[in-house]
Amino acid sequence: MKKRRGKGIFVIATGIVLFIIPLVFPHPYLLDTLILGFMFAILAASWDLLSGYTGQLSFGHAGFLALGAYCAALLTGKLSFSPWLGLLGGGVFTGLIGTMIGIPVLRVRGHYLAIVTLGFSEVIRVTAINWLSLTRGPYGFHEYTTFPGFPADPALAKPYFYYTAFGLLAVCGTVMYFICEHTQVGRAFKSIREDQTLAEALGINTTLYKVLGFSLSCFFAGIAGGFYAYYIRLVSPFVAEAINTVWAVGMVIFGGLGTLIGPIYGAIVLYGIYQAMRFVGVVYNLIAVGAVILIFVTYFPKGIWGVWERVSAE
Amino acid sequence: MLSSFLTFLLLGILISGIYALFAIGLTLLFGVMDIVNVAHGELFTIGGYLAFLGVALLVLHPVLALGGVIVGSLAIGLGVYFLAIRPLHNRLGRRPKAPVYLVLTLGLSILLQNIMLAIAGGNYKIVPSFVLGTSNFFNLVFVSRYRVVVFFTAMAVISALFLFLKYTKTGLSIRAVKDNPAAAQAIGIRVDHVYMITFGLVGILSGISGALLTPIYRVFPTVGALLTIKAFAIVILGGMGNLFGALIGSFVIGISESLAVMFISSDWKDLVAFAIMILILIIRPSGILEGE
Repeated sequence: MKKRRGKGIFVIATGIVLFIIPLVFPHPYLLDTLILGFMFAILAASWDLLSGYTGQLSFGHAGFLALGAYCAALLTGKLSFSPWLGLLGGGVFTGLIGTMIGIPVLRVRGHYLAIVTLGFSEVIRVTAINWLSLTRGPYGFHEYTTFPGFPADPALAKPYFYYTAFGLLAVCGTVMYFICEHTQVGRAFKSIREDQTLAEALGINTTLYKVLGFSLSCFFAGIAGGFYAYYIRLVSPFVAEAINTVWAVGMVIFGGLGTLIGPIYGAIVLYGIYQAMRFVGVVYNLIAVGAVILIFVTYFPKGIWGVWERVSAE
Repeated sequence: MLSSFLTFLLLGILISGIYALFAIGLTLLFGVMDIVNVAHGELFTIGGYLAFLGVALLVLHPVLALGGVIVGSLAIGLGVYFLAIRPLHNRLGRRPKAPVYLVLTLGLSILLQNIMLAIAGGNYKIVPSFVLGTSNFFNLVFVSRYRVVVFFTAMAVISALFLFLKYTKTGLSIRAVKDNPAAAQAIGIRVDHVYMITFGLVGILSGISGALLTPIYRVFPTVGALLTIKAFAIVILGGMGNLFGALIGSFVIGISESLAVMFISSDWKDLVAFAIMILILIIRPSGILEGE
């Protein structure tokens, strides 16, 4: 019990530090890094909700991120939805698409979800490049407004986006943590991960819960995508590149698979390191991400969060 | 109309040979070791770069260069086994839960892709084709002669692999491990040894397919990634782990892709494999031949 309280205090303390950063040190580069770090944290947590808890892997989260981003941008740009509604719309639409893919694929046992979502992400990318009338192809779509009331000057708008991202992460993170750790649904997820046959024998409808986990995961990935669209103000097929999936996976593995909080820290730290090391060259950064995944999967399967838990237990 | 139909059909058949070479390695790895290798395309790309190194930079004779590709990709396959798979086996046992391999090979894929980007740069590298001219079939269909040569080379390599698996003692032990690893170990087969050989074989298969396809496709760090998705479609179509199924699946995917160009814009061609994959998962998830 004491251990859990220690973790709670740590999370709250991090929250307070992150909350006051824009007040004491409002450097645009730092804020930008943290804003995108928060966005990736939502994405990584959504990946962990599916893969860490139900044991089903998605290799298409870049595609879902892009789907949410395009949907939000198009809702605002073509149908003049309020960005807040667009954000939600991006999440809901992505969740629905995820459900449609999940039902045929998750019926089957095995690795099929990873393979199919890897392909689906490519479908999204190719569609975004070729459906010129809707997405403007490779140039990207940018004719839409961002959140109302935010200053037009990007430098002045940074703190606004910072608190938006921070709030979104806090809400999404809490909801996901609550679902996974404090509800019947979360328990069903874990039972599928540990032993699907046993879960079935106990009367758990494993297909239903796998699809539910996948839909929820896609919903939150879509929210992250929607925020990305309103922050960057340009959605291009690049968002659907497989590298964004690798980022999400790397952040979860680094932070701690199946802990939900670990991946959030993993995302902020890894993205921070990536931005700090920009001058070294992006190629080497990505080599490092690959190496982090290889080393952590083999030697620290529970990530930094797991290492910390083990150290604090001793 | 007839002429263009036959041309596309033939082009589809010819490209299927390469698809088969590539996909059979993927399905072999799954059958023997339970690994879904997301980094399979990168092994292909390395083969392409080795061919570029041999033919364009060192100006070797093409046959000699192919020999070099075989040795190099064997080394890469063994390197992956010893540096990535073996440590995992040592820590988590020989049959870790499936997601572990998926995440591991995803990391490997991005690692290899960016190492290649760092060494060779992002530009397309061109390997000159060593067989020039076109082949003429009944004055109706004309295709580049190189594609025909590639097809028969691929088929020869696949036949050699099937003969190796069927008639040699090593091949027999690979098949034994594939069918039942515990029993294979009980009768004295060194499972680790079989895993190592499998990885070497898979490295060679992907390397050769990459080298053969380079003069047609060119080579750049992400050339293999798209092919990985196609290979997965092929492997699911044939039933995961089923070598003969993968061979059939390659022809189905290769020919449908090629014929699809007659009806849809070639921009969307790459989505055909995905559509077939989803269809198979809905109607017959165990593949067209049923898993072995």
